[in-house]
Amino acid sequence: MEDTLLSISNLVIGYDEPLCDPITLTVGRGEIVAVLGPSGIGKTTLLRTVANLVMPLGGRSELHVEPAGGLGYIPQNLGLVRHATVAHNVALGAGVRMKWSFGMYAERRERVMEALAAVGMDHKASEPVRRLSGGQKRRVATARTLAQQPQLILADEFLSELDDSNATAVMEAVFPLLTKGSSLIMVEHHEGHALKYATRIWELLDGRFSDLSVEAWKERQQGGETE
Amino acid sequence: MKIRLFVIIGALSLLAFSLLSDLADGDWGRFGGGLSNLVVFFTESMWPPDWSVLQPRTYPACESTVEITCSIGYIGMVETLKIAFVSTILGFLGAILLSPLAARNLQSIWISIPVRILLSAVRSLPSLIWAILFVIVIGFGPLSGVLAMTFYTVGYLGKLQYETFEGMNSGPIEAGRAMGLSSRAIATNIVIPENSNHLLSQLIFMFEYNVRHGTVIGIVGAGGIGYYITNYLKFLQYEKVFALLILIFVVVIIIDLISFFARSFVNEQGDVRRPTWMNLLLKKTGEKSPADAAK
Repeated sequence: MEDTLLSISNLVIGYDEPLCDPITLTVGRGEIVAVLGPSGIGKTTLLRTVANLVMPLGGRSELHVEPAGGLGYIPQNLGLVRHATVAHNVALGAGVRMKWSFGMYAERRERVMEALAAVGMDHKASEPVRRLSGGQKRRVATARTLAQQPQLILADEFLSELDDSNATAVMEAVFPLLTKGSSLIMVEHHEGHALKYATRIWELLDGRFSDLSVEAWKERQQGGETE
Repeated sequence: MKIRLFVIIGALSLLAFSLLSDLADGDWGRFGGGLSNLVVFFTESMWPPDWSVLQPRTYPACESTVEITCSIGYIGMVETLKIAFVSTILGFLGAILLSPLAARNLQSIWISIPVRILLSAVRSLPSLIWAILFVIVIGFGPLSGVLAMTFYTVGYLGKLQYETFEGMNSGPIEAGRAMGLSSRAIATNIVIPENSNHLLSQLIFMFEYNVRHGTVIGIVGAGGIGYYITNYLKFLQYEKVFALLILIFVVVIIIDLISFFARSFVNEQGDVRRPTWMNLLLKKTGEKSPADAAK
């Protein structure tokens, strides 16, 4: 099993114009990366480029995960099927790696219920997603990723609208996956959440990309404040 | 912004009127004469409607205890509804297989463009022309009507469906694509469920459309109530034609009410307050419409 899940070399992100300097880095197993920066700076574009949903303007981004189910992506709007039930949404994640067999449906159902129980949403399994609150939808999106068990999770502001207790509950549900060796790259504008969980910070600021440890980022912030 | 909108609407209206004037060859008097002809035709030939179309036919003898079931109106309408129902369901199945292949956000242009051309080709012939073709190929009767309207439904519904799919929020598709779901799985498990209320609405609209068009294809002998309307027109029995038109109108209204009720099961408004049959027909006193409430 590879220790590197993502390798990026000279990656230039953007739609027409480059949004920042070329990026070169790797992400290993068990890392939690928080992507920070002001709104509109290119954090989501970076995530979408890594997920191969946007073509880079230059360089390359390579995922070293299984093609089916190795990557989990939680977009800013969560990407849930609103008119389908909670269980249907989570089953999308649970079934992505499964080969068809007679026992597949029971196994998938079991995995769905386990994932929903982990985020405290098992009592809403048959409810349509459109009827849920914003916080509940975030938990369902998390459950979908848990059921999928990806090696790398890309999450775009999935903790941002949650209060501290709900954010803690969601992260606690994700931790077992991270302790098994999966990694999480999360775009966050809530610095409190980011610093609480991240082991590494990617900062996009004024067209510059920085890859820092949490301590180095804090020191730089303090240095900036004293200046 | 408002001034620009007024200028655009004004310019388009002016263009439409100048084209109308061109088509009418400047003879606006024809419109006045046409209106008075319509009033005379309606009051002297069509009114009152002849409801004998809902009485049992003299031949063959009616064996049913419910006499209306032996009437021209009932037999024709039921046959039209059967043709419309079968062709709508078959057409929907054909369209739902093709439309995910035609949607640009689900397939590459190498697949979507040929499928779009196929759907356009099927749609470019109106159901009446399809009906004439099938009457020539397999003869008179409702089967020709079913095939004609099935083909047209595939083309028409296919276009509505792929445009709906293309207009949907990209989030669920991107999440599915990133997690490695196949195009087929994205279409069946994400795109179709996410657009279920639009699909249901389009399905019921198409059924209603096919009921109305079922009257037209009967003219060329493809079955349904249109066959009887054509016969009455030939014998200048306009009162009976008018009675059958009222019958079609009532059926269309009923389908519209069913559509409104059925859609409430798959939209947000229905989650809050599902309409009852009574408040579909009668607005409650003091109840505000969503538009009024927003003011």
